[in-house]
Amino acid sequence: MIEIDGITKRYDGTAVVDNVTMTIAPRTVTVIVGTSGSGKTTLLRMINRLVEPSAGAIRLDGDDNRSMPGYELRRRIGYAIQGHGLFPHRTVAQNIATVPVLLGWDKGRIDAKVRELLALFQLDPAIFAARFPHELSGGQQQRVGVARALAAEPKVLLMDEPFGALDPIIRAKAQADLLDIQRLLKTTIVLVTHDMDEAFHLADKIAVMDKGELVQYGTPAELVTNPATEFVQTLIGASERPFRLLSIETAGQAVEPGTADGQPVDAATSQRDVLSELLWTGRDALPVAAADGTLIGKVTLEGLARRAARPQ
Amino acid sequence: MRAWLPSLLRAALLAILLAFLVSPGWFEPLLKPLVQDNAPAIYNQGSLLTLTLLHLRTVAIATIAAIIVAVTLAILVTRPFGAEFLPLSRSLVNVGQTFPPVAVLALAVPALGFGEKPTLVALFLYGLLPIFENTLTGLTTLPPSVMEAARGAGMTDRQRLFRVELPLAMPVILAGVRLSVVISLATATIGSTVAAKTLGEVIIAGLQSNNIAFVLQGGLIVGALAVLIYDGLSAIEAVLARRAGL
Repeated sequence: MIEIDGITKRYDGTAVVDNVTMTIAPRTVTVIVGTSGSGKTTLLRMINRLVEPSAGAIRLDGDDNRSMPGYELRRRIGYAIQGHGLFPHRTVAQNIATVPVLLGWDKGRIDAKVRELLALFQLDPAIFAARFPHELSGGQQQRVGVARALAAEPKVLLMDEPFGALDPIIRAKAQADLLDIQRLLKTTIVLVTHDMDEAFHLADKIAVMDKGELVQYGTPAELVTNPATEFVQTLIGASERPFRLLSIETAGQAVEPGTADGQPVDAATSQRDVLSELLWTGRDALPVAAADGTLIGKVTLEGLARRAARPQ
Repeated sequence: MRAWLPSLLRAALLAILLAFLVSPGWFEPLLKPLVQDNAPAIYNQGSLLTLTLLHLRTVAIATIAAIIVAVTLAILVTRPFGAEFLPLSRSLVNVGQTFPPVAVLALAVPALGFGEKPTLVALFLYGLLPIFENTLTGLTTLPPSVMEAARGAGMTDRQRLFRVELPLAMPVILAGVRLSVVISLATATIGSTVAAKTLGEVIIAGLQSNNIAFVLQGGLIVGALAVLIYDGLSAIEAVLARRAGL
């Protein structure tokens, strides 16, 4: 659990982050959104003390994050950034081993961890371990960057626009992989982005920052149905609201009894994608299959329309 | 064909240089036409090989001292606590470069006496600037995302310096060293005006006795050394740069 308590950062008297208080539940994905200059990156960097706050405190599992030297704190917290920041003079394996080496793990344990993470990120250790970062594609570099951040098995992973430099196709894949890995490792993730689609795709809870203040902190559905300020509404986009609601939940959560014709959609597909499929194929219902392939019912156009409407 | 030609030329140059130093007598017919009737065509007041080794030793000592001082200074002024000394150290190093080596020799002789010492001082001061400026450039132009990642991974200041900053800046630092070495190789010859044992002795002897062959062989040996060392250091730099992924 991360407790952010009245945290403030001032530069030359101007508050960049102004008295922000929020609690991040363990094993969840929290996305901090806002325009540039809203203080979202500064807030993130105060968690691992790359920026020291002017006032307030941050507690990790109850312990003040100033109870140990900054570098020791940062070895316990994963950190992945835009443009990956891989060390160009070190191999992929050496890059991933950065924090374990700093922590003084023995060689066998480090090697095993590097292999495990490479495999987890779909990079064959035999091929990639000895390569240098400039020999990788952008997507591969980004995956190595996240693998490096996770190498010392941190409970908390901070990500600063980690997918910002990727093209849209690789970005969608990277987001899906991140969710899979988060479910597997149960890491608490705090991610900063200005991409609202990314926020709605990844977040359990979204924190909206505006001019240094936390204007709303809630589930994606709360933000859509009950925006705290004009700014939140603008950020979400009035015309996007029904689609944002649908993008939060999966087809499995909208399933109705009965059957329909056509190729079944996977239960994990977002309702937004199912709606798109229905509209494109001109149908009014599609069958839904569970992960093991068994049919569990159908999703209808009418049902989705009800779910996309403003809650009464 | 183009690719191996430079290497071949270098190998030939090295072979000729070694042959000349070990057995200068072989080249006497080539230099004979340059001298008057019974004057010697090959330097005869000492071994050319010994002088070359002493010349190289002088340059090596001065350069190593310059590397230690210039790199240390550049590291200190790029740390937060040393930033305010940056302008001061820049001007100091610049003075070292603009002060003519001959003047340094003249000033150093009364204090240090004749011989190698004043030459070492002159070469040391003259060699500081390229190394200092390049180290400064190397340390201040590192990719910000890499530095951010190093800090975010929990490296201490010292670990960042030795594991990330210096390895990444190394090719640029080495380029400064290369420049400094080449300047020193040429400048070291004037050390012989204050009785330092360098190849300048051959040139000065030639000037005094109006022997063009002496001047030429002294100059050519220094030139060949400079070309070979320059290329050698360039090759090391290229390897380091490739390894640094630059």
